[in-house]
Amino acid sequence: MSGPGSVLWGVGCYDDGARRVPWEISHEEIQRAMGAAKTELEQLGIGAGSRVLFCSMLSEAGHFWPLMIGAMLAGAQQSCADANAGEATRVAMFTRLIDFDAVFGVTPALLDGLDELGVTYAEVFGRVRIVGARPGAYERLVEAGLAPHHFVLAGPAVALAREPGGPARADTREWRFDVDGDVVCVTSLRPRATTFERARTAVRGEIVDGGIVPSAWKEQ
Amino acid sequence: MNLPPPDSPYFSPEETMPRERLEELQLELLLDLLPYAYEHAPVIREAWDAAGVTPREIKTLDDFRERVPFVDKDALRRFRDDRGDPFGGLCAIPPAELTAINSTSGTTGDPTLVPEKWGAGGTPAVITRDFWGMGVRPGDHVALVLFTFRGPIYGLFQGLGTVPVLFDFDPSEMARFCELSRRYRPTALYNFGSVLVHAVRDACERFGIDPVDVFSSYKGVVFAGEPLGPRARALAQEWGVQLFEHTSVGDVTAAFECTMHDGLHFWEDTAFVECVEPDGRTPVADGERGELVATTLFNRTAPLVRYRSDDIVRVTRRPCGCGRTHARMWPIGRKGDEVVVQGRSVLPVDLWAAVESIDACAMGLFQVVRSSRETDVLRLRVGYASAWEGKLDVVADEVRGAVEGATGLVPEVELVPDARLLRLGPPHKIPRVARR
Repeated sequence: MSGPGSVLWGVGCYDDGARRVPWEISHEEIQRAMGAAKTELEQLGIGAGSRVLFCSMLSEAGHFWPLMIGAMLAGAQQSCADANAGEATRVAMFTRLIDFDAVFGVTPALLDGLDELGVTYAEVFGRVRIVGARPGAYERLVEAGLAPHHFVLAGPAVALAREPGGPARADTREWRFDVDGDVVCVTSLRPRATTFERARTAVRGEIVDGGIVPSAWKEQ
Repeated sequence: MNLPPPDSPYFSPEETMPRERLEELQLELLLDLLPYAYEHAPVIREAWDAAGVTPREIKTLDDFRERVPFVDKDALRRFRDDRGDPFGGLCAIPPAELTAINSTSGTTGDPTLVPEKWGAGGTPAVITRDFWGMGVRPGDHVALVLFTFRGPIYGLFQGLGTVPVLFDFDPSEMARFCELSRRYRPTALYNFGSVLVHAVRDACERFGIDPVDVFSSYKGVVFAGEPLGPRARALAQEWGVQLFEHTSVGDVTAAFECTMHDGLHFWEDTAFVECVEPDGRTPVADGERGELVATTLFNRTAPLVRYRSDDIVRVTRRPCGCGRTHARMWPIGRKGDEVVVQGRSVLPVDLWAAVESIDACAMGLFQVVRSSRETDVLRLRVGYASAWEGKLDVVADEVRGAVEGATGLVPEVELVPDARLLRLGPPHKIPRVARR
């Protein structure tokens, strides 16, 4: 979707570990990300007939919109919920009524909400083939006996594991990860409205084969 | 999207269409949609069959008003549960053709699924007309303070050539909102609420920011979900904010105030809207209080027909000073939220100003707690700010006094932290009635 006469798609936001940083995003980079997301999701087996639930906040739309359109381009149907505790009811309703192939973006706050509702993680996510869980949620789902994929917003980049427990990978034409101590840093490799050069993120972990294996989660 | 000249007060010519032509258009669109809805949406067909009506019998708007049966949210939930149809019998296209499945807010119970087909075309630019009318133009920044469960609403703003600045609907976002408002100077904010107004005030106090400066570029600030209480409204006015109320129209279309601030316009080329007696089917007179009933004129994915919204409103089709010919409405409350205490009708709107007038309860978060519609005692669950933790006896006395002053009823009051009530929300509104 491109707007008449506007170079910027929007102003999103990412977490650098110390604060929430505004992030100007161009239409062009969104277009590139949509294509990459389609390919990545197809490699995960998502296509015609698949249903995908995205759990995100509006300030994360710059991260999630390409995934949503990528899913649509791959032929999948999508649903949306906020990624906070109050939306646990909606997420539980969705997975009760619809057979989802994948749920991406599960947060610790969402799991807190499920705890308050008194439903188990297995009841909500047990039938979902791919559960993409963010740091902090991932460990809790593993402890509950599920096999989630790492799903990481590393600054402005979205990284997703191709198998349970595997490193979360982003588009290597767009992003390069490294670490400063155990803080994951991100560098942008192609022209963007906002350039990133070893920008610190809120994610701690190590880089394995170019992808991120989060080691801990920092409470915001 | 073809844009009008920047100095045009209207986005599209349909906004000022003569009423006679508008009603001809509505009939034309209805007669096209009704056979389709009957044929493809099982819950609509079930309701019509039960009423012994077929689309062939509907030839005029009067036929429609007199003969077509109503459906409501309970009918959709019942169809869903009885038939195992997640869409409550409303999905009118093969499910495989859907691009998205989203959901209603869930304020009145379990959210219901909303089947969607993006890119289906033919949808009038509803929100676009309203923001254009406020003065928003291509190239502007627009602050979006929203949730995601309705899907990617930001696309409408990008389609208008504006740049969305994206925030979560969360009080903790308001410091960032103040900072970025001063950096990008947006011309509109969608969407505000009492809780966020107070959070902006707190952020400005904490960081020494002038709220008048924060809002100096805004031509319109839209609030929705719930009424803005007098305290929050007074703050906004102090900051020089021009507020525009906005509401959903029976999950079929949307309504916004225009610059006249005399009711909320809904676009009658998108929906056929009626206002009927809350417990009956008789239309109420123009401007009288009734239940809003809405029928889509364009949605062929989930075609709601004569959908009783549970919303109590006033509707008028008298001309508006802005020049638009489309009807206006005034939201009053939800039919299901009424409680009758000792024979006296009380709606949440009757309590709002009283609760909000107490400093500890300035966010206006409260629920009426009841086991049935009629009760002997008005029971309230009221939110308080954490700073008042040690003075709750005083706060409860103040709430009792204020509510008695407003309603003549002395309530039983349960005080809970604001945060506990906020978590009940979708989050732009919370359920105002809770079961005991």
